[in-house]
Amino acid sequence: MMSDRIFPLILLLLFAPLSGCLEPVTKTNDGCTVLETSTSNSSTVRILTYDIAAFSQSMLDEFTNSTGYEVELIRADDAGGILEQMLQTQGTPQSDLAVGLDNTYLQTALDFCLLQPHSTVAPSLDSSAMEPYSGTYALPFDQGDVCLNVDENGLNETERTFPEDLWELTGPEWNGKTSFPSPVTSSPGRAFMIATIDYFEHDENETTNAFDWWKAMAENDARFTSGWTEAYEIHYSGGYGEWVEGHIGDSLLTVSYCHSPGVEAYYSGNSTHSTSITLERSTFHQVEYAALTNGATNVNGANAFLDFLLSEDINRNMPENNLMLSVLENPTFPDTDGFSWHTDTPTMNANVSMERIAQDMETWLSEWQIATL
Amino acid sequence: MALKQRNTAQAHVMHTVQWLTLFCVIVLGIVPLILAILRLWSVTQVSPLEALRQFPEQIGAMDALRFTLIEALLSTLLTVVLGLPVAWSLGRYQWRGIRSKRALFYLPFVTPPIVAAAGFLALISPGGLFNSFGLDLRGETGVIGWLAETTGWQHPGHMIALVLAHAWFNLSLMIRFVEPVIAQLNPAWEEQLMMLPKGQSASGRLRHLWLPVLGPSVAVAATYAFFFSFTSFALVKWLTPDFNTLESLLADLGGSAGIYNYRVDTSLGVLAIAGLQALLMLTILAVAGFLERKHTMTISIHEEHTNRKKRGTPPLKSRFIVYSLLLASMLPFVSVVVASFRKRATSQNGHTEFHWTFEGWQRAWTGDASTITLFEALQNSLVYAGLTLVIALPIGYVLASMFYRLENNGKKRLASILDTLCMVPLSASAVMVGLGVVLGLLRWYPELFMFRYLPVLPHVMLVLPFLVRMLRPAFSRIEPAFEEQVRLLNLPPLQSWWHSKGASMMAPLTMAASLCLAFSLGEFGATYLLIRVGSWDSLSIMVDQLLGRPKFDPLIMPTAMAVAASLMLTTLFVLWLSEQLRMKQGDAND
Repeated sequence: MMSDRIFPLILLLLFAPLSGCLEPVTKTNDGCTVLETSTSNSSTVRILTYDIAAFSQSMLDEFTNSTGYEVELIRADDAGGILEQMLQTQGTPQSDLAVGLDNTYLQTALDFCLLQPHSTVAPSLDSSAMEPYSGTYALPFDQGDVCLNVDENGLNETERTFPEDLWELTGPEWNGKTSFPSPVTSSPGRAFMIATIDYFEHDENETTNAFDWWKAMAENDARFTSGWTEAYEIHYSGGYGEWVEGHIGDSLLTVSYCHSPGVEAYYSGNSTHSTSITLERSTFHQVEYAALTNGATNVNGANAFLDFLLSEDINRNMPENNLMLSVLENPTFPDTDGFSWHTDTPTMNANVSMERIAQDMETWLSEWQIATL
Repeated sequence: MALKQRNTAQAHVMHTVQWLTLFCVIVLGIVPLILAILRLWSVTQVSPLEALRQFPEQIGAMDALRFTLIEALLSTLLTVVLGLPVAWSLGRYQWRGIRSKRALFYLPFVTPPIVAAAGFLALISPGGLFNSFGLDLRGETGVIGWLAETTGWQHPGHMIALVLAHAWFNLSLMIRFVEPVIAQLNPAWEEQLMMLPKGQSASGRLRHLWLPVLGPSVAVAATYAFFFSFTSFALVKWLTPDFNTLESLLADLGGSAGIYNYRVDTSLGVLAIAGLQALLMLTILAVAGFLERKHTMTISIHEEHTNRKKRGTPPLKSRFIVYSLLLASMLPFVSVVVASFRKRATSQNGHTEFHWTFEGWQRAWTGDASTITLFEALQNSLVYAGLTLVIALPIGYVLASMFYRLENNGKKRLASILDTLCMVPLSASAVMVGLGVVLGLLRWYPELFMFRYLPVLPHVMLVLPFLVRMLRPAFSRIEPAFEEQVRLLNLPPLQSWWHSKGASMMAPLTMAASLCLAFSLGEFGATYLLIRVGSWDSLSIMVDQLLGRPKFDPLIMPTAMAVAASLMLTTLFVLWLSEQLRMKQGDAND
């Protein structure tokens, strides 16, 4: 048949021009321009976020009832996933608002001109939430401190002592007993790696740095998992994971939040055997932001959602709804079932600027990968 | 003369439709991948070939390759060891309710891997069935701990759990490919061989009859088992948390790939790893295709029903094999259902314990805490499955008929190349498909991203190669004389099709339809990449969302399991329904 000869040729000719259809998008250094988009009269706000539990259906219904805007949630895995999706869809943004970028990712989003200024008049916010960034491109909506969590029962049963220096974790008594989410793929893992950089820059020993410690940890059979869930739920012996299918419980120490023991207690009738380690500079204050996407089509709707997110009713309930602290003035964790009692306050958080994080992150990640290989 | 002209014109129209269909399939399946490769090439400034050369230098790549090959090989071996006796027993004898048994054996294959992972985790966790027999595959104490210590094998318990899960998942492949050969083989062959000196002993019959007859079909099933174990992701992630397959490594790197001036190392990693994986996958699929053609030629068609009747009811040994493995196959499902009613709580004296409750099902039903309701997710899943069926089945039919025609016309090579092109989406990693869709579809037509039926596209693309493979052998079984006779009758096109092919194709088409529905219901990876808007969530996505959430709240786990159980029951119902339909078409073997 003639068609059996002609069609393969047509296929070949049609695919050939594809080889040159992509051009690189160049990044400009001379400031950002807000993308011109056809501003729609859409009644829908598209929100790019990770799986934030705070966005319950009842909350979204409340927003729709009070403002008239419907909400469509576009989901990423975590803060890193939000940034990466924004980068991949740069120029053709799929959202009006990004909710969940934290202070380890925000600067990169700013550098790549992924955001545009908001017009929300924010209420009085907690000073610690405004510390990493106070410009007009993003507003904080929750916060928390990333730190090491340790299983108190496990320590007592095995007669280990509470570590008073991170180097102690490289000793034989901690061999194979620690799990860390990878900074390459996990936001808390990334926050803790940044903390270790500041910690070892300020310790007494000037000949070693954070990556020497990470190398020593790898040699001491520390486990590195792709995400927080694997480290905390599968390996950590001090958390709720021991009641979840698939738990291994071979680690006495992992990375989570300083208020994770409080959350454990809150859901377990004021009972937990997990606690946090708050050594100076080994903790990292994480602030999560909501920001308008550069090229948003429903700017008014996005600003309305920002107002709503920072309203007293919604933001004060962050600890119960999103397991994070509110950013409104004088935020507190609830006293119910030992939530605040089991939550530790860091003595001194690591102090690394957003600018430095954005500038050095690729190098740090590469060094971390080499150190833990 | 006029009749001849009309037939030629009809053939031309049909061939044009076939080529256009193929063109659309290739464009939708391959163009996104080409775009993804070009983007990665442009970001890294490294050609795909050079990236392939740099594969060993990528962090974790060699370990992942080694682990992938070992687990896939072991999983395949176990699949054959467990599956062959079941296929043999099912194929040889007259079973009461054989269709229900087959449907139950097929269920694991269409179960979302994340549900399977949850079921297996429940079985191997403390308090689970394996633990009660003294096998601690998770914590690796006792005999498994001893095995690890004496052999130096890292995490043997995790590997055993993974291999068991893969064998459970792939068991149906052995039944699908091997059972029909055993059932349809003319019993006279065996009887005649037994009269000859070479057929006196069981080993002689094995060497001279069963090995050449069953070999190709076992090889096809084994190759597919290897393929699915090789590309396993969710089971690897949850059952062997300290190891990566190539697929899970790609998933780790994929998010930040394809972005200019940002984590260029991950783009290079993806280009290198996805390249090698695609090459290996294409090779495996080509081998499977080759073996399948051989397998098709080997089958000696003989009335299955008569064969079974002749051999009678199954002996005790066969009953034991089939029922014990059927029971074992159901265990992960049972543990999922049990887990949906189990909620942890803290007693007044501060101890954590479990109690039985419907709260998980209630929360799934009301859909609080940022998930849609169970009913809405079920509706979405059924709509996707229905659309996949309506689109994929006619396309699969057209492609299968086209490849059969080309082969019949002596263009086997062209048919083989085109078939391989249709297989490309199946051989590419989900990361590359996702990246291709983001880079391709979004840049050309961003509004498509918000099109709620977009997930149907990957469902169609991924199920098509299986449909083609399922339908093509059926074409070769149609008596060519039917078509010639129907041509002479000068019937309208539809009637002509029905009498020449349609009536004979109904049974395989029903089977293909049930595969479409079940595949779409259970599909997870591609849907996950494309469903971004919460209100479109399917059941499998809802399970993943719930399982991925921190489970401080004790209701999350039972809610996830309730949704998983609903998905399982829906799939089972679909399979049962299609078997009933097939039975009504007079293909009863019972």
